[in-house]
Amino acid sequence: MTTPSTQQLMQTMQGASEHLSVSDRREFLRRGMSYVAGAAAVGGTTIASAASLTSNLPPNEPQWGRQLGTGVVENPYGLPSRHEAQVVRRTVPWLTAESISSISMSPIQDLKGIITPNGLVFERYHAGVPDINPDEHRLMIHGLVDNPLIFTMEDLMRFPSVSQIKFIECPANGGMEWRGPQMEALQFTHGMLSCCEWTGVPLKVLLDAAGLQTEGKWILAEGADGAHMSRSIPIEKVLDDTLVVYAQNGEMLRPEQGYPLRLLNPGWEGNTSIKWLRRIEVGDKPWHHREETSKYTDLMADGRARRFTFVQECNSVITSPCPENPILRKGFIEVEGLAWTGRGTIKGVDVSFDGGVSWRPAKLKGLVLDKALTRFSFTTQWQGEPWLIQSRAYDETGYVQPTLAQLREQRGVNSIYHKNSIHTWQVAPTGEVKNVQIT
Amino acid sequence: MFKSLKLSFSATLVASVAAGAISSVTYAQEYNIGASASAQEIAGWDIDIRPDGMGLPVGSGNAVDGEETYETFCASCHGVFGEGEGRWPVLTGGEGTLAEERPVKTVGSYWPYASTLFDYIRRAMPFTAPMSLDDQQVYDITAYVLYMNDIIEEDFELSNENLAQVSMPNEDGFFVDDRPDVSNPRCMVDCADPEKMMLQSSLAGVTPIGHFVEGADAPASSHSGQHDLEASKEADRKASITGEEIVAPVAKKAVAMSAAAIAGEATYKAACGVCHTNGLAGAPKVSDAGAWTQRLQQGTDLLITHALEGYAGNAGYMPAKGGRADLSDEAVTNAVLFMVESQH
Repeated sequence: MTTPSTQQLMQTMQGASEHLSVSDRREFLRRGMSYVAGAAAVGGTTIASAASLTSNLPPNEPQWGRQLGTGVVENPYGLPSRHEAQVVRRTVPWLTAESISSISMSPIQDLKGIITPNGLVFERYHAGVPDINPDEHRLMIHGLVDNPLIFTMEDLMRFPSVSQIKFIECPANGGMEWRGPQMEALQFTHGMLSCCEWTGVPLKVLLDAAGLQTEGKWILAEGADGAHMSRSIPIEKVLDDTLVVYAQNGEMLRPEQGYPLRLLNPGWEGNTSIKWLRRIEVGDKPWHHREETSKYTDLMADGRARRFTFVQECNSVITSPCPENPILRKGFIEVEGLAWTGRGTIKGVDVSFDGGVSWRPAKLKGLVLDKALTRFSFTTQWQGEPWLIQSRAYDETGYVQPTLAQLREQRGVNSIYHKNSIHTWQVAPTGEVKNVQIT
Repeated sequence: MFKSLKLSFSATLVASVAAGAISSVTYAQEYNIGASASAQEIAGWDIDIRPDGMGLPVGSGNAVDGEETYETFCASCHGVFGEGEGRWPVLTGGEGTLAEERPVKTVGSYWPYASTLFDYIRRAMPFTAPMSLDDQQVYDITAYVLYMNDIIEEDFELSNENLAQVSMPNEDGFFVDDRPDVSNPRCMVDCADPEKMMLQSSLAGVTPIGHFVEGADAPASSHSGQHDLEASKEADRKASITGEEIVAPVAKKAVAMSAAAIAGEATYKAACGVCHTNGLAGAPKVSDAGAWTQRLQQGTDLLITHALEGYAGNAGYMPAKGGRADLSDEAVTNAVLFMVESQH
């Protein structure tokens, strides 16, 4: 008998598992993966016996306890365990023409707490990721200011720094589902969402240094990338909480997040947080550039469109269970999820198990911060009953996350952006979870 | 990284600094950080245009001259008539569709200001070579796109004097954000009638969901994977019509590439791949061996000449160096060799 290739084994297993339930399938594939590993390890003519599957379990001493591991600085910049290789950003290729101007989603189904690791923060850009030498990067401030200034990165890092935990979300998050559900996984329904601790300087400090003139009512922020991405921001926001940031989660920005410098407009649509920031111009009127007219405007049912729809309204989603995290066992279960609002802090989250007929308050856990992801939890028992589970967040302004029917009634289905409606997962008696909408 | 200044203190120096520090440290409010931006520095970067015409450079252009410029730099993605190739943006048509079920948002049907067109072309187009057009070309292309949308006449001389007066059909179609526009009471019991609830399930087959299978990933979860998937679906469709058996592609043997071809890969990725990965404007896809058979028979030298000088014919259209005039001849040649040797 010849040894089957890993690929052949995988195909056989996938084929054989197709009729199984999700929980069965997970178990089957887990066993199968060990087969593959075992066969590869012995390199023999037969598939490794079932006994080898449990050789690392009690009462046996596991393999890794009987040998040495790798030494320090084997990876000078550490990497996740190879057993976590499935936790990656993913894209929906049919959304855009080209990967250079596209979007990837964070695997929020696999993340814990409220901080998104830097390598998993969702990506969105319009001309690829530029490779910028920070020594040759400048930030220019001009227009309606007394003293136009130009800053080096070293200059900017001399200012007193601030660090704040803020979410950043693409306004198109969930936008593929205005007409109906079509994404079979949480990563694609809600993954244009991340949350980091950002470090930098309030833009107000820099404008003060340049001498902001009273006629200055708007700024134009512009990137140094090939798209020269540009957005108009009203001065009220800038003077309130806009930051110019150079670091995220303790290290310098990642190239795909704007290295070496980006704008951060907390709670506002991600596109306004211009990456690779090179220029701020102060003016008395908005610029009406492409990304605030042709794009990032919300078309209503009557053919008119909202513009300058900056704020990301209160939203939430259950991250476990979800299509990627089916319920594997009956009994105790913690239903968990994320809530966020661009209007301040999350006040509370309710969960429903019957499609929104009745609701029960969930518990907020961990840090509850202004314009940051907030984690909620509801512990219960599951005995195989079908669920239609939903979460509904409300924020400090009293705004309650709406239903999809309410949004559609007000806006129609063509606005693409700002769909923050209550989301429904259908849990089958097998524990399998599907994305559905209730109408 | 940014720091080049090396500091070293001797013990005595530290002592003397410490003695003076108590009286000299203050809480500075005046930062005095940053240099004055010169008028010349500002002029180089101040590229933005506003609807009132602020920022427009002195100059003019028209649709007659714009046609050729458009076809050279824009048509390969946006289509000869602005109809859009593949998933690239449609520039023309769509009038009266904004309230319809499938609205078509174009420059003519949706954009509120003509200034946006000049600004965007100048800052971001053409896609593969932003900031490479001169003001004359930007005026010409802007005029041509407005002309294709029946907004100006073919011979209208568009200039910094009159662009702000060009009136766009949908200028009044926008209003400022008035959210929150819905109010959902925080109901806790009997919030909906279960009898009237309808359940709608997700469409099957459009989600790249390979991550459900441990250790695997969906072939379609990348842009190149999507093209492979579409190609295989097309092969299935043809096979179902002709009854031919699908022949699984034979795995290519790895052949060592020349040093020049290896060097060309970076240029390919940064410049050529936009068209040659997806087959835009008739470009032969690197992954499509069949598209290269005839081309390779013509000899590599001719392919290099076409890449350097441009090509227009039945097979497709390619501007000189793919529109990337900034690339050296050597870089383009190496990229061609990379594509050619990828066929071996």
